[in-house]
Amino acid sequence: MSEALLRIEGVSKKYGPNTVLNDVSFEIGEGEVVGLLGDNGAGKSTLVKIMSGVVDSTAGDFYWDGQKIDKMNRNVTERLGVETIFQDSALVPQMTITRNIFMGREVTNRFGFMKMKEMDAVAADVLDSVVTIEGIKSPKQLVSSLSGGQAQAVAIARAVHFKRSLLILDEPTSALAVRATEALLGYLTQLKGEGVSSVLVTHNLHHAFQVCDRHIVMNHGKKIMDARREDTSVEELTAAVVEGAVGLARFRAGTF
Amino acid sequence: MSDTPPGRRGPILEVPLPTEAISVRRKPAGEPESFFGRMNYNLQFIRGRGALEISIVLVVLLAGYVIASLISPTGFAFLNPNNLSGVISQSVPVLAILGLAAGILMISGEFDLSLGANITLSAIVFIKTSEAAGLWLGIAAGIGTGVAVALINGIIVVYTKIPSFIATLGMSFFWMGAGIFINGTSPAALTTSREGTMEYLFAHNFGSFRSQLVWLLIIGVLAWFFMHRHKLGNHIFAVGGNPAAAEAISIKTKRVKLMSFAIFGGLVGFAAILIAVRTSSIQPGGTATEDFTLFAIAAAVVGGTSLTGGRGSVIGIIVGAALIELIRNGLLLAKAPGFYITLFVGVTIVIAAIFNKLMEGKAR
Repeated sequence: MSEALLRIEGVSKKYGPNTVLNDVSFEIGEGEVVGLLGDNGAGKSTLVKIMSGVVDSTAGDFYWDGQKIDKMNRNVTERLGVETIFQDSALVPQMTITRNIFMGREVTNRFGFMKMKEMDAVAADVLDSVVTIEGIKSPKQLVSSLSGGQAQAVAIARAVHFKRSLLILDEPTSALAVRATEALLGYLTQLKGEGVSSVLVTHNLHHAFQVCDRHIVMNHGKKIMDARREDTSVEELTAAVVEGAVGLARFRAGTF
Repeated sequence: MSDTPPGRRGPILEVPLPTEAISVRRKPAGEPESFFGRMNYNLQFIRGRGALEISIVLVVLLAGYVIASLISPTGFAFLNPNNLSGVISQSVPVLAILGLAAGILMISGEFDLSLGANITLSAIVFIKTSEAAGLWLGIAAGIGTGVAVALINGIIVVYTKIPSFIATLGMSFFWMGAGIFINGTSPAALTTSREGTMEYLFAHNFGSFRSQLVWLLIIGVLAWFFMHRHKLGNHIFAVGGNPAAAEAISIKTKRVKLMSFAIFGGLVGFAAILIAVRTSSIQPGGTATEDFTLFAIAAAVVGGTSLTGGRGSVIGIIVGAALIELIRNGLLLAKAPGFYITLFVGVTIVIAAIFNKLMEGKAR
């Protein structure tokens, strides 16, 4: 069996006396879509921050393609191709869609000057093909003129366009309209075929169940469930997310 | 990016550009075909980004001045060649270059209130070095001082995370004192070294224009291409607009801010040379150069630069500087007492700031 793309072992995070994450281990396979579920305060966000290198873990080991990574920080995750789309603050509102899509990865000539026409054309394609976004007239629009859902969709389109190896989506569907959500979920499925792994962090079990190969449920900083889609059901996930380990045990005993 | 990640994958951060799309140079969907249609279409993306509105104000004001001057050539001598050359070739370029300095730094989300003190210090170093060691070393020393002063301010701001307002306000007194420390309290003056190349380069009167205007054109074009077409300029906008988003996409925000401080310092050092050559002498601790601090920020704000960063344009800033100088000139020509001038400039700045706030919402 080939090595998992990212394997984390025994990750813990303490903020002072508070243990936010307690000995969490799991794997993300290549081309796998993993749903990271859990109620507020379950430790999802902290886990996302640790995986994207923004926050240091207190303890734990990380393996990328089977090789140990000494420290997950921004430089390392950038090099490995981990891209996180945080709930907000993914885009610069005062800049155009094109400039946001190519921010930090500008298409330039060898003197560093941007090829605006090419970038605009590619941005228009990205907007057309990656995530169908209602109501965007032109990639020359400023992001501040977009709705929250549209802006979110642009951020996703950007990450998808640059084909990062691991995409972490933090509540991407929370602000999207129904059609945009469908488009996004469809694209996650498509990503699988291209070997891009993704982690979908969400409250919406139905969205997760639709696209995820595997579901990890967190509760009070612990992993309480890690099941392939075939082995679980929306009902079981609901029990685990809402009632924690107790609910899961009761569901499995048939008394939920 | 050249490092390969461990494991079987090659470098991942490649741009998968659909090259067919590029070769066709497809226009974004919805863009009209006819000339006027396209003009209209493009106009809606320029609206509210700073430069357009303020340019209209400038044109209206200019038209008013020209009419007034034609009606009364002696009472309002705006079109008098001496006046034109003085305003357009001397006052506007210096303020515009300083406005660009302050504006670029503001776009990155920072201020430098030691601008005036930086001018004084850089000008003194320029004067002393060129008197002692010749023009070219003088120019290098003057600009170098500007960059060094701004970079020290920048390092303090970026690494201690003190608001730049406070840090550079404090440093402003330090640099003012440094000017007196190296020069003493008597003015530093250019003597024989001013003649010839130096005068020709920085203050020569070519009849209808002066050297300063040429410098503004060169710097303006360079600044426009750098800020609006170069990726580093793009990073400055990104860092000022939303540092978290820039950081998330692996733009080094600290480095970008330090670069903005350095550019600021270079432009201030250059403007200091223009001022020194024009006036031939600089008074350490004097208010003449101190005034430029707020006027430069004012030019940037009037030109549509956001006080919170991320928004602004090179053309807008230059037009903003021109507008302030024209208002100043108009009041002088109308023989308004000196203190009215600051009064009117103050009102202009506040109105411009309100106007910008309103336009920010309209930008699309």
